Amino acid sequence: MAMHLGAILDVLPSPRPALDVDRTILIQKAEASRSRSDAQILLMGDSSCLIDVDAGRLTDEIKRPALNLGTLSYLGLESHAALLRNYFGANPGRVQTVVLLMHPEALRLTSAGEYHTKLLMHFLRGEDFVVRNYVSSALGDDAFRSRVLARTLPIPLGGPYGRHYGFNADLEAFLRAHRGSLVDPDSREFRGNPEYRLAPQFQKTSLIFRAGIPSNVKLLFAITPMPATYAPPDYLTTRQQMLTQWQEWLAPATVLNLPATLPDHLFVKTTHLSEEGARQYTKELGAALRLIDAAH
Amino acid sequence: MLFNSGIFIEFFAAFLLLYWLLRNNLRARNILIVIASYLFYGWWDYRFLALLIFSSVLDYFVGLGIARQTDPRRRKLWLACSVVANLTILGFFKYFDFFILSFAAVMKQLHIHVSPHTLGIILPVGISFYTFQAMSYTIDVYRNEMPPTRNPINFLAYVSFFPQLVAGPIERASHLLPQFDRTLSITRPMLEEGIWLMIWGMFKKVFIADNLDPLVAMVYGSGSYSAPVVVLATVAFAFQIYCDFSGYSDIARGTARVLGFDIMFNFNLPYAAASIREFWRRWHISLSTWLRDYLYISLGGNRAGKARTYINIWITMVLGGLWHGAAWNFVLWGMWHAIGLIINRALGEKVRASFLSWLATICFVLYGWLLFRARSLDEIIAMSRSFTNFSAPAWINSYLLNLTVFTLSLAIVEFWQFKSRNLLVPLTIRPWTRAALQGMLLVGIILYWERNPAPFIYFQF
Repeated sequence: MAMHLGAILDVLPSPRPALDVDRTILIQKAEASRSRSDAQILLMGDSSCLIDVDAGRLTDEIKRPALNLGTLSYLGLESHAALLRNYFGANPGRVQTVVLLMHPEALRLTSAGEYHTKLLMHFLRGEDFVVRNYVSSALGDDAFRSRVLARTLPIPLGGPYGRHYGFNADLEAFLRAHRGSLVDPDSREFRGNPEYRLAPQFQKTSLIFRAGIPSNVKLLFAITPMPATYAPPDYLTTRQQMLTQWQEWLAPATVLNLPATLPDHLFVKTTHLSEEGARQYTKELGAALRLIDAAH
Repeated sequence: MLFNSGIFIEFFAAFLLLYWLLRNNLRARNILIVIASYLFYGWWDYRFLALLIFSSVLDYFVGLGIARQTDPRRRKLWLACSVVANLTILGFFKYFDFFILSFAAVMKQLHIHVSPHTLGIILPVGISFYTFQAMSYTIDVYRNEMPPTRNPINFLAYVSFFPQLVAGPIERASHLLPQFDRTLSITRPMLEEGIWLMIWGMFKKVFIADNLDPLVAMVYGSGSYSAPVVVLATVAFAFQIYCDFSGYSDIARGTARVLGFDIMFNFNLPYAAASIREFWRRWHISLSTWLRDYLYISLGGNRAGKARTYINIWITMVLGGLWHGAAWNFVLWGMWHAIGLIINRALGEKVRASFLSWLATICFVLYGWLLFRARSLDEIIAMSRSFTNFSAPAWINSYLLNLTVFTLSLAIVEFWQFKSRNLLVPLTIRPWTRAALQGMLLVGIILYWERNPAPFIYFQF
């Protein structure tokens, strides 16, 4: 009850629910989108963007500061557009290029995840996000966790992230030190349904995303790679069709010439590259960006 | 069904109502206990109820069979029936795959190729607890320490009594069984004790043990070890397993108390022990006394000279380790404690309780927990080797802070219990102060209550 009262009277600090890996990433990215930055190249997209591109290395590679605002595949392009608007609001006139990178598995999702989208939006508005509608929520559990606990006590991360990074604060520190990029410490077998298509919802959300980018800023995009042996035989054709369709929806936008697949050993799972894989892919991205710069 | 789940609260509320309505009808009350206990157990997997019922029915008739016989050989035969059947069930469900795989591993070392066929058997929850409880009845009847019960409902209730069915305490028939013959008499002190134990037990599980779990998991299995990290993680695990298990035992005792029953204390401030022998008098008391009375003494105890005593300790502790789970690290843990007990016995009264003996004991116990928690021999070796590496990761302070925050309340309450030499000392304070204390604990429980609760560690044993 005291928590509710504290929240209403604005006595408690604003919510900052960095309570696990996903939420820590979202909160860090939301804050980064509102902070001053030197970035001229902004990387946007799902977790494949977050992990497959090392923004620090890219900065060195192309000699222009880059920032990775990639988040999670649960967030739709609408949420990315919100981050983008924030960023342009906080850093007017600096960014020259937005690079949108998404994995084919994210592109087939028919809708964005409600939980993560709401969490991000509530955080951006400085509101508590009440997820649990039972006794503990009524007693102010969510307010306590996101306003007090997450701000006072470092939260241990679960699973491989906990073993690799430690606590939420350490994960945030890593993200800051690596210009928003992350290394995926988890590895899984290549499993799933390798059948890809561009979900129709991307038509609407791509327009929203595009509308958030000023006309003097270039939009480049690509579909991130998957393991060579995991890709279906007709994947190159499918991918090309997806890129063509997406380009129409994102227009005006330029497709980046990046590999559709990479050798299996460079992946930790179907959607994420290993540290070594990210190094190689970042190099490829740097080369593709230089090529586009040269063409202009 | 888990104590720390919403469904248990609903179940227990409905049960209490019916229990109260049937308070004057002993037979109906005991039938209700049996039905509720089977529902409680079957909620997890109803198929394994058959095992529980089989074990109960078998031991009921074996008890009667033993009592009918005067010929010692026939009495022994009846007892063997119970012991063999119970241990076969336990062995098959708990150890079959383990022994097959271990055999294959030994063959591989000898360069003999075998293709092990495991059955992928699911371990029935609580099987180690209720088989031991049922066996203690037949052994006691065989030893003429108690008469057999002729009331099958009471016996079914004794074996399946839901507060302590899945993770103990392993009750003795001579203590629990007669309580099913008594009419309900619940006094205010019993209620107060029951409520305190339920809240304190739940706090230990939900607030302490479940919050220490990610800290432990962060280090164990990570492959990146150093002395400060391994020590802190092992301390965290020592608190986690203690709060998880003693929390369950407290809730079990508290639940039983509210129903008018008395079940034994399973823990008595084990980390205050100043010797390994004392530790085993304070840790999982129902198992250690079971092993002492039914295994160690049956092997001859300390009646056949020093060497034989040490062998008996060794066998008892190794089997006690194996009781915890079908894995070699539990065997190693049992051996480790056997070494401690043998040294303890060899030193006799030479070592007096002091700060140093406490420190030595706690270090010994902590290394035992490392053996217990590690998942492979390689991990044990890697963690043990790390004791010469004193580097600390950047997050060590965060780790220490978490560990302190989540164990401070336990340290305060246990220090209070230790100083007053009374586990129920919180019941001696003024009612309003106690209500405030219980209120604070409840807030801690509610804040960390999970919709998908973490199971108790000892369920896997």
